[in-house]
Amino acid sequence: MTEITPAADKVSRRRFLSGSAAVAGAGGLVLGAAGGTAIAAAAAPEPVSEEVRMAERASLTYPFYGQHQGGIDTPPQDHLVFTAFDVTALTAVELQLVLAKWSAAMSELTAGSPVGKVQPEREQAIPVDTGEATDMGPQGLTLTLGFGPSLFDGRFGLEKFKPVDFADLPAMAGESLDPALTGGDLCIQACANDPQVAYHAVRNLARMARTSVRTKWTVLGFGRASAGAEQATPRNLMGFKDGTRNIQEPADFSDQVWVGEEAGQPWMVGGSYLVARKIHMLIETWDEDPIGDQQTIFGRTKKEGAPLTGAKEHDVPDFHAAVAGGTADETVIAADSHIALAAHENNNGTKILRRGYNFTDGLDSVGRLDAGLMFLSFQRSPEQFIALQRKLGKSDRLNEYIRHVGSGVFAVPAGLPAAGSYYGKEFFA
Amino acid sequence: MISFAPRPFRSVAPAVLAGMAVLTLSLSACGSAATTNAGNAADPAKGGTASVSNGAAQIAVSVEKVDGEDSCVPNFTSAPAGPVTFTIANKDASGVSEVELLSDKRILGERENVIPGLKSVSFTVTLTGGEYQLYCPGAGKEYQPFSVSGAAASAAANGTSGLLKQGTDGYAKYVSGQVDSLVLAAATLQAAVDSGDVTASQKAYAEARPFFERIEPVAESFPDLDPALDLRVADVEPGTEWTGFHPLEKDLFEAKAITASSKALAAGIVKNVATLKTLTAELETNASYKPEELANGASGLLEEVQSSKITGEEEAYSKLDLVDFAANIEGSQQAFEYLKPALNEIDPALTKQISGQFETVNTSLDGYKDANALGGFKAYTDELKKSDAAKLTALIQSLQAPLAKIAEKVATV
Repeated sequence: MTEITPAADKVSRRRFLSGSAAVAGAGGLVLGAAGGTAIAAAAAPEPVSEEVRMAERASLTYPFYGQHQGGIDTPPQDHLVFTAFDVTALTAVELQLVLAKWSAAMSELTAGSPVGKVQPEREQAIPVDTGEATDMGPQGLTLTLGFGPSLFDGRFGLEKFKPVDFADLPAMAGESLDPALTGGDLCIQACANDPQVAYHAVRNLARMARTSVRTKWTVLGFGRASAGAEQATPRNLMGFKDGTRNIQEPADFSDQVWVGEEAGQPWMVGGSYLVARKIHMLIETWDEDPIGDQQTIFGRTKKEGAPLTGAKEHDVPDFHAAVAGGTADETVIAADSHIALAAHENNNGTKILRRGYNFTDGLDSVGRLDAGLMFLSFQRSPEQFIALQRKLGKSDRLNEYIRHVGSGVFAVPAGLPAAGSYYGKEFFA
Repeated sequence: MISFAPRPFRSVAPAVLAGMAVLTLSLSACGSAATTNAGNAADPAKGGTASVSNGAAQIAVSVEKVDGEDSCVPNFTSAPAGPVTFTIANKDASGVSEVELLSDKRILGERENVIPGLKSVSFTVTLTGGEYQLYCPGAGKEYQPFSVSGAAASAAANGTSGLLKQGTDGYAKYVSGQVDSLVLAAATLQAAVDSGDVTASQKAYAEARPFFERIEPVAESFPDLDPALDLRVADVEPGTEWTGFHPLEKDLFEAKAITASSKALAAGIVKNVATLKTLTAELETNASYKPEELANGASGLLEEVQSSKITGEEEAYSKLDLVDFAANIEGSQQAFEYLKPALNEIDPALTKQISGQFETVNTSLDGYKDANALGGFKAYTDELKKSDAAKLTALIQSLQAPLAKIAEKVATV
């Protein structure tokens, strides 16, 4: 799933046509790129021009068909549009149509193709594709579809397809959830290196299903707040690096991210559970907090992101190192610091794949900045998240500065094998 | 807002047959159009003439990837005159989701939701001898010739044209009927205003509005008449006179006082409505309505609902927005109903879907009825707007999405 396919492998009608003449002639350069990411390009022995690098970014595609859905073990792209939907359709057939339409459209969109005509020939025709991503290229777009627990509530006769123990997340400490930002029968996570391409995808998917689904809540994310393999660790809006100890090893993916037989549903084998939490940061308050306290809260330094027991970002934190001259239970990294509570060493080896994004959305209802972290994590069981969050919600020093306002859990089915299959096909046999 | 064109409708659609080469070369979007090589793509169509079974010639169209390109592959490229059934299945071509049969540019029959992995769908059309095109938007080769041999097997051929004509004639009568009622309602309004009775005038105002709102797209096709009758204060050019319903609404519902200028406004409404009657009578006499205009009008009324009724801008003083809202929906549904017999021939699935959505909207609107309220609907107060506007928007959008598609299907250009 992480293998990058240059767009040029597609047939001619799929070819991304760059708007820039200078690059249009440099097709060979674009095609030769295997790495695709700016970082990989920068490491190449021959310096490449900025224009070529931009073209590479634009033409980056991830294969749509495969064992797992894209957007999970894909190196996090720069932008996110996350949307949860409620199904308003009254029949299983309508739902089937939505899932089949979406699956077909997703394969087109992730290849950088419009879904239908941007400019139909007939005067009276309504444009099928809304057109704002025309000529922008696929931009590494991935689309990840998830099913909420409520989809299996009996409206569509899907009770028997519900994975074992799949339910809404339990109430946890430190929440102030807004019902308008909670739940959803379906979700789509769109990630791309360009926000307009991600937005275009969700907008068109929502539009083609307008008679059957209603958008429930949506978050636009930017500045990926988690790192994949080979990526520099980005920073959250508190100014701290986020995602330093994220899952990267294939073994961890097998153990902690991909669902096996235990869900009791063949359609979930190779899938994952997506937890979405919209976390509002009390930014203005945080900004006036002294650096010492900020670092104590996280357990890391701000600039380097090193654990307080180390010097470099990737130094392994020592949760037992005692403060010189302190009492026995006074550790350098406070036991209730964010990294100590979340560390797998302190949670029976539990890890989750974090894939969150920063968000900002003007001002909130009381005039504070409405910004924070759109936390997204993938795990083999929602229990992994629940166990960690219970602990964090109870005693995390960070809680003074954050509020969980939105929440959803979704069963993300396995990837589609090939064209002709669609998500949820097993439900309608 | 698309309204009825006062001038003959102009089509700029390129000729389908003559322009084929040009069409496929115009890279419209992200290179989704066919390339120059499209003509050389493998064409596994058997050719030959389909045999007749179940009273119709049977054509199977397979939508699939051929050499990596989304293609439409019919098993036969010709059929004898008479009923022809096209059965379509999409194996693995994600870029194609509908198949149409065209005569010149007119859609004779079509199927949407031709999606990989779903069951096959079919449509039946009765064809006379001649040349047709199978149209698969999104395929590498979008148009394929389809020929029909022999004469018409029955007079039912091109039955949709007759049905469309009946539809436009019927709609013209409907519009005239609404305008006749509006003439009476405007006279009642003027009498109430002249008598100085504010309460009676408010009631007459509320009763007159729906007749206008049901046929608004037709009124809007007369460029001077609509602003003279229905301009909102926000749209008044500085230095021009504000006339019509809404300044009178302001007098009756905000100032709650009738002045000399209120009486002048009421007289102006009567005069302009008389002009509207003359103009719409001409449209009926000359059979000027085109099916696509009805369709666009139906969709346009839903635009109206979304842009000015749900926001509460239309009836800012009287709070009668839901009365107008219901009238817009009713007018939209009437236009649709007149097209329905023809539309049922062209795309029964879509027709059924739109009917269902109208039903949903009407059921929801029933919840806002209030027999004691002016105009028969709850006042659209700020509280009601706050609590229900988003719900109403979603409701209208899920009706407009399918309804907007019908103009293309009934276009006679």
